[in-house]
Amino acid sequence: MKKFLIILILSTLFGGSLFAAEAGMPQLDPKYWASQAFWLIIIFLSIYLLIAKIFIPKIKNNIDTREDKIRKDLEEARIFREEAEKKLKMYKDLIENAKVDSKKILSESRQKLNEDIRIKKEKIQKEIEKETRNAEKEIEKFKSDSINKVGAISEDIVFSLLKDIFGEDGNKSSIKATVSEVIKKQRITKS
Amino acid sequence: MATNPMHQFQVNRIGPKIEISGIDLSFTNASLFMVISATFVTLLLLLGTREKKLIPSKVQLVSEMLYNFIAKMISDTAGKKAKPYFPFIFSLFIFILFCNMVGMLPYSFTVTSHIIVTLTFAIFIFVGVTILGFIIHGFKYLKIFVPSGVPIVLLPIITVIEIISYLSRPVSLSVRLFANMMAGHTMLKVFGGFVISLGLIGGWLPLSFSVALTGLEILVAFLQAYVFAILTCIYLNDALNLHH
Repeated sequence: MKKFLIILILSTLFGGSLFAAEAGMPQLDPKYWASQAFWLIIIFLSIYLLIAKIFIPKIKNNIDTREDKIRKDLEEARIFREEAEKKLKMYKDLIENAKVDSKKILSESRQKLNEDIRIKKEKIQKEIEKETRNAEKEIEKFKSDSINKVGAISEDIVFSLLKDIFGEDGNKSSIKATVSEVIKKQRITKS
Repeated sequence: MATNPMHQFQVNRIGPKIEISGIDLSFTNASLFMVISATFVTLLLLLGTREKKLIPSKVQLVSEMLYNFIAKMISDTAGKKAKPYFPFIFSLFIFILFCNMVGMLPYSFTVTSHIIVTLTFAIFIFVGVTILGFIIHGFKYLKIFVPSGVPIVLLPIITVIEIISYLSRPVSLSVRLFANMMAGHTMLKVFGGFVISLGLIGGWLPLSFSVALTGLEILVAFLQAYVFAILTCIYLNDALNLHH
């Protein structure tokens, strides 16, 4: 309404002469009112029928089809995602199981290995002990043997010495007794 | 006289005189521009619905946006019950919009700048809504004049005011659109006249005003169509969902 007033003021100020020919508003001339209303009703009615019967169902159909398609696609995507998640879970389970299995195998084999080592160690230990004992026995035998041999050699030496010095054969049995006596004495003093 | 700012609203007969029982129903330039506007509307919707693409073409997008825009407007203001009246509101909005927009073209005629045109719409809507209200609610529809939660002392005054405001609906609805369109076009014409009368030296100022006003008028053309449609929705809402 404000605009309307401005127009009126502007028009009266500047355009006074413009209104000289035709005063007033043609809108208020009732000459063509009936015609305008009549044609308006006819044209609006026809466009209303066109829109209501043809265009709106078409547009609605279009939009509905699109929404349907989108909903279907979304649903499909959801299904795919679920499937993928299931698969992922399956793989994870598989990996988890494999890990557990490998751990089990590892610990089992370690135990077995330890047992093996222990048995072998024991066996070797026994063998070593046996060998040691044999060696000790041999050494003992060798010791006693060597004493006897030393005795015999000593007797021989003494016998030959006596023969070289005195020119006669000594009494073999007394020599033997003397040598064994000396060896015994030596042994005692040594030990 | 072409420089008269009101000359653009002159109605002239085109073709032969048609008279039915003494009433002049001749085809006029107003009728011609109604037909042109209706043709544009039809053309737009025809192109918009010609092909059914999943990814819409530009015209299809425009028609679908219009559809969604008006569907949202109706559901926001009048609720779900107003769905059967969707085609009417849609036609009303788009027809008024195109009449206003066609009026913005130079040398054209603005159909909606005539009070008889807007009044015809307004009276039809007023009568239609009132009848609808009485059909749906019976005599309870008269409750619309008696708002709830008003003190008894004020009730007679409020009721009188409500009745007056209800009865002035067609007037306000029609005058709003008509006055806006007429004022805008008159103003454009007046400033256009100033450009000529002030000539090459002083004419630039009103010319720039004219350019700005043209932009404003395009906005007003849309806005008034929207206001007309949304007020129709509000009146419809009063008739459909009676709670004051």
